[in-house]
Amino acid sequence: MNLSVKIGDLALKNPVMTASGTFGYGEEYAEFVDLSLLGAIVTKGLSLKPREGNPPPRIVETPAGMLNAIGLQNIGVERFIEEKLPFLEQFDVPVIANFFGDSIDEFVGAAERLSRADGIDGLEMNISCPNKQAGWLVFGTDPEVTFEVVSAVRRVTDLTLIVKLSPNVTDIAQMARVAEDAGADAVSLINTVTGMAIDINTRRPKLANVTGGLSGPAIKPIGVRMVWEVFKAVGIPVIGSGGIMSGEDAVEYMLAGAAAVAVGTANFVTPTATTDIITGIRDYMAAHGIGDISTIKGGLLWEREDL
Amino acid sequence: MSRFFQAEVTGNVLLSRTHNILKITPLQPHTMPYPGQFYLLRVSGTLDPLLRRPLSILRWDEDGLEFLIRLKGRGTLLLRNMKPGERIDLLGPLGNGYPEPVDGETPILVAGGVGIASVYPLIERFRPEVRLFYGAVSAGDLYLVDEIRGLTRNLHVSTDDGSMGFRGNAVERLTAYLDGSSVPSPVVYACGPEGMTKSLLGMLRRRGIPGHVSLEERMACGVGACLGCVVETVRGYRRVCKEGPVFDAREIAV
Ligand SMILES: Cc1cc2nc3c(=O)[nH]c(=O)nc-3n(C[C@H](O)[C@H](O)[C@H](O)COP(=O)(O)OP(=O)(O)OC[C@H]3O[C@@H](n4cnc5c(N)ncnc54)[C@H](O)[C@@H]3O)c2cc1C
Ligand SMILES: Cc1cc2nc3c(=O)[nH]c(=O)nc-3n(C[C@H](O)[C@H](O)[C@H](O)COP(=O)(O)O)c2cc1C
Ligand code: FES
Repeated sequence: MNLSVKIGDLALKNPVMTASGTFGYGEEYAEFVDLSLLGAIVTKGLSLKPREGNPPPRIVETPAGMLNAIGLQNIGVERFIEEKLPFLEQFDVPVIANFFGDSIDEFVGAAERLSRADGIDGLEMNISCPNKQAGWLVFGTDPEVTFEVVSAVRRVTDLTLIVKLSPNVTDIAQMARVAEDAGADAVSLINTVTGMAIDINTRRPKLANVTGGLSGPAIKPIGVRMVWEVFKAVGIPVIGSGGIMSGEDAVEYMLAGAAAVAVGTANFVTPTATTDIITGIRDYMAAHGIGDISTIKGGLLWEREDL
Repeated sequence: MSRFFQAEVTGNVLLSRTHNILKITPLQPHTMPYPGQFYLLRVSGTLDPLLRRPLSILRWDEDGLEFLIRLKGRGTLLLRNMKPGERIDLLGPLGNGYPEPVDGETPILVAGGVGIASVYPLIERFRPEVRLFYGAVSAGDLYLVDEIRGLTRNLHVSTDDGSMGFRGNAVERLTAYLDGSSVPSPVVYACGPEGMTKSLLGMLRRRGIPGHVSLEERMACGVGACLGCVVETVRGYRRVCKEGPVFDAREIAV
């Protein structure tokens, strides 16, 4: 059985990666999961300077999902490279550093620094974050700004560059094409869907930040639909995420066009979710006589060719 | 796999309309807890409710673990309705737990409401003389009182409505006690609702008494990965699941 897939220059043993922000810096889950078994590890989002994040409460459970407003708290690229990367280097697993900035300069600065470090195999840029220079509008919702920031990062790194797309847009296929045109090697989607919850007794928002990002099974149909739309629109690989809890869910994303998948909220529910999902994919392959996982990519059968 | 294991429910004692004690027996090798640590329990095999629920360890031995659970919402209702023989999976023990007192310090325990679950293992550890200040809204909301009396002769009960013991909260009772007697180098170990914790921190600060206080925050992962459970401390945000749940009273931001 062949589970290996390629994303840009990265050869993954299998299509299961961790989703940024849900697996810490890897070490938090090392006692539950043999990290060498994973397709890739994607780190918590990093910025040039450390970030404090939002005040609590930062999370709230919602039907089959959760809202989070962590506020991109992180230790910064420098400390990540010094304190966290050496631990990950013990494992036979590609490390993808997820990063962000609140200006194009910060994106570029973080990408440059991460590219110089030994032991980082790929970069994933999170463009679902606010842009200081544009009145805090989110980078990833404006095609021109997206093109500009992805091009700027592309110029300073030779690592495999993945652009993580926000679902909070009208036309995600267009955003994916823009990322591809700007030089991305792959796109990953979906990031969390903006949401909100209110305590009706106190009339106060349940998150201190008022709004937050919805993740978990509740968003899976949105993710599957968006992966399908993006798969039809670009030539670069698509990494699918959003509510993947089982091998079946991962297969569903791959049938919609994902070359690989990222597992997020499921880690919180079951710390062994990533390796359980790899087993689940194998079971599906065995049951359906599939020898090579890549052959199911975009294997959705549908009638309406006009869609 | 010793901190992530399957277990079987071996007992579920309904103490009242709001509280139960859930007993489970691990079916796999597992790590033994310290007082003040907690577990994340999966409350159903379905995707809704999705997240695990944090519960302090009340009692444990080779055969199993016990949790004292106050009915709050859907998750604790599912835990209340569990029947012996059912399977459940647990993640834990998690968090730091209460530190040992330093030489010469006299431990004083303070519990409010279901906070007794977190403090209870310390009564066993410091028996037979440890001072415990245990408060609740009303007499019916005090649990395990007979067991506690078997462990310490120094129990000081308070209720908000005066239906049992001192009328007022546990912190007021403790303050009166400290005024009336001299405890050599007291150190407070406490767990209770936010209001109690706040007034306790103020009192400790004014009197220069050290303390170790267990805090609560919403959790997702329980292992320090999601950064969802932070509280504000004098050194910035700290994770309740990792650097806590027990914090030095001087570190907690007011
Ligand atoms: C470290 C720690 C130890 C705890 N120990 C105990 C214990 O021994 N006994 C006990 O009865 N309770 C304990 N609690 C509180 C208990 O976790 C909550 O009452 C419970 O999660 C409520 O779940 P629910 O589905 O019934 O309520 P809901 O209100 O429906 O829960 C909705 C969401 O909010 C979360 N939530 C609600 N209240 C709290 C809270 N106070 N703290 C953290 N998350 C909350 C839930 O986990 C869930 O994700 C502890 C909490 C923490 C953080
Ligand atoms: C607590 C939490 C923190 C997250 N932090 C980041 C982050 O730092 N950078 C990022 O690109 N995505 C972040 N995400 C989004 C996830 O990587 C993922 O795209 C999203 O949660 C959808 O997948 P899921 O439903 O499997 O969780 C975070 C999600 C959660 C739940
Ligand atoms: S619950 Fe995830 S960091 Fe504490």
